[in-house]
Amino acid sequence: MKRDWAAADVAATGGKLLKLALLPLCLLAPVTAVALEVDELIRHMDKLWRGNTSAAVMTMTVNTRRYQRTMTMEAWSRGKDYSLVVVRKPIKDKDVATLKVEENIWNYLPKINRVTKIPASMMSGSWMGSHFTNDDLVKESTFEDDYASSITFEGERGGQAIYEITAIPNPDAAVVWGKVIINFEQTSLAPLQALYFDEEGLLVRTMTFDQAREIDGRLTPMRMRLQPEDKPEESTTIIYEKIDFDVPLEASFFSLQNLKRRR
Amino acid sequence: MTSNLAMFVFIAWRNIWRYPIRSLLTVFALAGGLIIVILYSVLLEGMTRQMVTYATDMSTGHLQLHRRAFIDDQDLYATLPWSYLNAAETALPAASVAPRLYAAGLASAQASSTGVLIKAVDAAREPRATRLLDSVRSGTAELGPASDSTDGLPRANVVVGTQLAKNLKLQVDSELILVTQAADGSIGNGLFRVAAILKPVDTAFDRTGVLMSIDTYQSLMSLDSGFHELAVKTPDAENLGTGQALLQQTLERLAREQPLDELGGAAVVRNWREINPTISDMLKLSQSMVVVIGFIVVSLASLGMLNTMLMAVHERTHEFGILLAIGMKSRWLMVMVLIESFLLALISAAIGAALGTWLGRYLQTHGIDFSGTMPDGYDWAGMSFEPVMRGYLDPGHVVNACLIMTLVAMLSSLLPSWRTVRLKPAEVMR
Repeated sequence: MKRDWAAADVAATGGKLLKLALLPLCLLAPVTAVALEVDELIRHMDKLWRGNTSAAVMTMTVNTRRYQRTMTMEAWSRGKDYSLVVVRKPIKDKDVATLKVEENIWNYLPKINRVTKIPASMMSGSWMGSHFTNDDLVKESTFEDDYASSITFEGERGGQAIYEITAIPNPDAAVVWGKVIINFEQTSLAPLQALYFDEEGLLVRTMTFDQAREIDGRLTPMRMRLQPEDKPEESTTIIYEKIDFDVPLEASFFSLQNLKRRR
Repeated sequence: MTSNLAMFVFIAWRNIWRYPIRSLLTVFALAGGLIIVILYSVLLEGMTRQMVTYATDMSTGHLQLHRRAFIDDQDLYATLPWSYLNAAETALPAASVAPRLYAAGLASAQASSTGVLIKAVDAAREPRATRLLDSVRSGTAELGPASDSTDGLPRANVVVGTQLAKNLKLQVDSELILVTQAADGSIGNGLFRVAAILKPVDTAFDRTGVLMSIDTYQSLMSLDSGFHELAVKTPDAENLGTGQALLQQTLERLAREQPLDELGGAAVVRNWREINPTISDMLKLSQSMVVVIGFIVVSLASLGMLNTMLMAVHERTHEFGILLAIGMKSRWLMVMVLIESFLLALISAAIGAALGTWLGRYLQTHGIDFSGTMPDGYDWAGMSFEPVMRGYLDPGHVVNACLIMTLVAMLSSLLPSWRTVRLKPAEVMR
């Protein structure tokens, strides 16, 4: 029974995974032209959906062989370590909330009025029946430490000028992917696609980005779609309806007390 | 011929008691070996019977019915419609059937949480098919609605495995939170009261098992399309083939009348040997182990027999020479020595079987009690055993052990008896 619930920060999930994918070299890479490019891309990616702080409203649609469901959620984030997501619709899951602080995830469940922490053994479980896992949220914070990224392709592909970044996990990193490849459009630097490979080098899932909109001078994709490779008829799609950056949010906003209160 | 034989039996019997101490020592060595073999088979048979009991009576039942996709990857949606339950009951009126549902979840209590296997059972049908709900260590195995929590939220009763209770520090009356992914993709969650803690069932269940009623499961999981598993206890445990075939026929008829959805696959009937191939293999292995160990022990004891008979033949060389000289056929001498060995083996078998049976019966009624050092019993090959190791005396095994012993003893006396054939009277009488 490989199914868990999870509670997670979907706001972050879609986008931040990727942002993080790119951070590792910031501190260590030698100052060469290529390293600067990677560095720039990483910084750009990191700002796309998050900024310093963010508040967003989004809908997530999950399509599986067995069910289809759509949820509307509100999400807040501060830096890469703090995020809070509260489900607004449907009624059945209303006020279910997820708090992520660093590598910890807690759920608030209004029906039983309890907060539960996701244990390490449940991190690979799916979140809310979607194709995202809890681990996707947590690993986001450590992506820079876990992966070494470099630009592996620069030029035209499929009629678009792109940058391709390949992130390889560091030998001692506790991660599930063997390789992550991310493509960006060259002029706008908007991400187009992220490919996740397992340790044998087989493609496991694909995330595609589109419906880019200009926010704070950056072209930000408003829709992301995660597609597992082994179940072609299934997918999870997240659409940002509204996203505001640099809203005032203190670290204390992301507390267990607020998790329970924030309904 | 027969009168000759009777005479030789008489002479052989007298010969044995020419040196009573030597003969008795031989008898004790052989009887001791036989007793060891009998006790070994008693204990092993006791263990395997306990294993089979655990494999069937405890929770598996004799036959089980699932959808293919549930067997392959515990597909939550691979349910059998409820009409199959009635059909199975009609097809096997003498059997007891128990429907079950499963799900994975996260259980939290106070500060700790862990992954669990949720198992829903029918409180009325389950006790007729298995002893799962009877093996309660503390509390009472009641399922269904419980008293409200302190903050006035509704709760339902659950029964938990022994190791899970230990890991989450649960006692009877403790509160447990279960969170899971329901069938409609939502977060299934609920508050529960621990009504009872079970005795060890099997290692996996002890560590992760949470039992609840089917109603509770359906509201937690938003899944009421059917059940995942049907455990069947048939009255004739030795002959499962007929029941299995009957059930399979019923399923085929049902599948034609009301086809199942394709994703879950066909309905499959399996017997407990197919479900637990390791246990079934282990049973076969233990049978051959008794034979091998028995053979080794008896062979060692038979070396005593070999020694005795070699001595007996050696010191009677002169006597044999005279017998041969006055016209005794050498093959009759050989027969006489063989009869001596046979009589020794027979006495040993009688004593060994009597003592072995007596000790075996003691082990069967009293067992060996390890509860001082292992109050929870012990785990072996993924199964939990009671702390009292009880034997089982199978008369057939005693007979087999006696036969093996006699056979080996006779084989070992071939060498001394063969020597008598080669005796030359002129040489040995000198």
